[in-house]
Amino acid sequence: MTRHGRLTGLLAGLGALVALVIMLFPLYAVVVASFESNYQLLGTSYNFLPPKLSFANYSAVISQQGGHIVSTLVIGVCTAILTLVVALPAAHALARYRFRVTAAAVGGLLIAQILPSVVIANSLFLIYHKLGLLNTYPGLIVADASYNVPFAILVLRAFMLGLPTDVLQAARVDGATEWKLFLRVVLPMSRSAIITVAVFAFLQGWGDFIFALTLLSGSTFEPITLSIYSYIGEFQSNLGDAMALCIVGILPAAVLLVVAQRYIAAGLTVGSVKG
Amino acid sequence: MARIAAPTSRPPARGTPRSDRVTEVAGRVRLWTRYARAVFLIPALAYVLFVFVLPIVYNLILSFEQTSPATIASLFAPFAGISNYKDILDQSTTQSAIVRTFTFTAASLFFQFFIGFALALLFNMKFPLRRVARSLIIIPWLLPLLITGFIFRFLFQTEAGAVNQILQDLHLISQPVGFLTSPGWAYFAVLVANIWLGIPFFTVLLYSALQDVPAELKEAAMLDGANAWQRLIRVTLPIVRPVIEVVIVLGFVFTIKVFDLVIGMTEGGPANSTEIMAPWAYNVTFQQFEYGQGAALNTILLLIAFVAAPVYIWLNRESLRR
Repeated sequence: MTRHGRLTGLLAGLGALVALVIMLFPLYAVVVASFESNYQLLGTSYNFLPPKLSFANYSAVISQQGGHIVSTLVIGVCTAILTLVVALPAAHALARYRFRVTAAAVGGLLIAQILPSVVIANSLFLIYHKLGLLNTYPGLIVADASYNVPFAILVLRAFMLGLPTDVLQAARVDGATEWKLFLRVVLPMSRSAIITVAVFAFLQGWGDFIFALTLLSGSTFEPITLSIYSYIGEFQSNLGDAMALCIVGILPAAVLLVVAQRYIAAGLTVGSVKG
Repeated sequence: MARIAAPTSRPPARGTPRSDRVTEVAGRVRLWTRYARAVFLIPALAYVLFVFVLPIVYNLILSFEQTSPATIASLFAPFAGISNYKDILDQSTTQSAIVRTFTFTAASLFFQFFIGFALALLFNMKFPLRRVARSLIIIPWLLPLLITGFIFRFLFQTEAGAVNQILQDLHLISQPVGFLTSPGWAYFAVLVANIWLGIPFFTVLLYSALQDVPAELKEAAMLDGANAWQRLIRVTLPIVRPVIEVVIVLGFVFTIKVFDLVIGMTEGGPANSTEIMAPWAYNVTFQQFEYGQGAALNTILLLIAFVAAPVYIWLNRESLRR
């Protein structure tokens, strides 16, 4: 590398460092806050480092919110499963077969991606009220999957369109039924796209707030977003606990970014640009 | 960062049918096979009808009905003409929420785009640990939005708030600012939070578009004596333009429906100063129990979102043809 190149590299690195410090400061602040007591958090000055490392908030959160954390996990996992069950066959059919309605279906899914969740949530509340689906896991999970079903079908279809046709042809020649072709050939070959979709659907189910707020009231279970929301009412008294719970809420995104970064980046790009 | 991990073979050029489709057409698919294939679509069709079509149709009906907490149990309420639309649009909070939704969206997109593009250009340069930097920048985009709102509520608090502390340490202010308690500042604070959370999306997408700019083109332009700015405007921008269009349309769609962030930070307050359409529609429906007016407001929000639909479909026209 030339001297000039090395210098610009150094400057670029410095610029990136500054950008990262600014962009990640809010997260750093929550980590610090989660180790502080309420008294320290609501004092007269902000602490850039915790005065004393205390795990009291975490133990409080685990003992009081453990059930809610498990509920949130169940919601996230089931949202991912439901999204895949609905999206995979449809994506396969729209990629593999020619229907008269293919273009219309893809257009419809693009529009569905645009719909504001708050509109769906308000109506679903009244519909669920009549169907007795309020305050139930199935009701909430069906609603939560709405964040990702259109995205999932479009991403999976875009991926499946790229699968090598000769392999599929060979399977068909070997006498595989449509169903077997889908299960034994298409699904294993689509592994990476399936992971991408599952990761996004899980994160949406895990982090959903609108549907939990509207479709659950005085329910026996609640996701942690609702718990954090209820801390707002008592902002003064439990800020430390709330901060520790925020860390729990952030954890899956951070972990998945480390172990599944490839799939997340692919989802961001394929899902939006190649819809 | 992983490039688009997916397609193993390039899609065929426009107009050339896929090979297995050719045989299909030639061989005349039998009727029952065609039905068997349609079975794959049934779960998705049922889902879309129940979760997207039904709520939207129901919302539309509701917006023309005279609702009250008593009518919530019955399927239909008396017809009310357009009175819900009149009543809700007459409220000054609604009018300012609609205007605010647009200014909020425009300001968010403006800053998200320029900051995101600058970061994408930066990350496109070679420097140590750039892979780590590129993955860390994604985090804000992946957080639950309510938590983002809650975090910024904490950062912007008046006493012992990080933003106030930093500004005081830099001697930019002498007294803490009531960021979340004064109307003008609260709007600004929510805007900052929204810009923050959207930057990663713009950065990642624009960065991946920059990767598609052929190095030879830039080198050729350099040999022709084009400076860095000219290369950016004349070579890079035209190539990444399609992605810029998609990112802005999606950014518009994301931003007009912002809900969790506002609830987490300000709940629309103080004095309705951060009330934008989505939280206001929720408020009308679930705090004032005006289901009909809430539905009317939702229909308006829906119409605004649909402005983006033809543009978005046009940008994705290739995927419709395949």
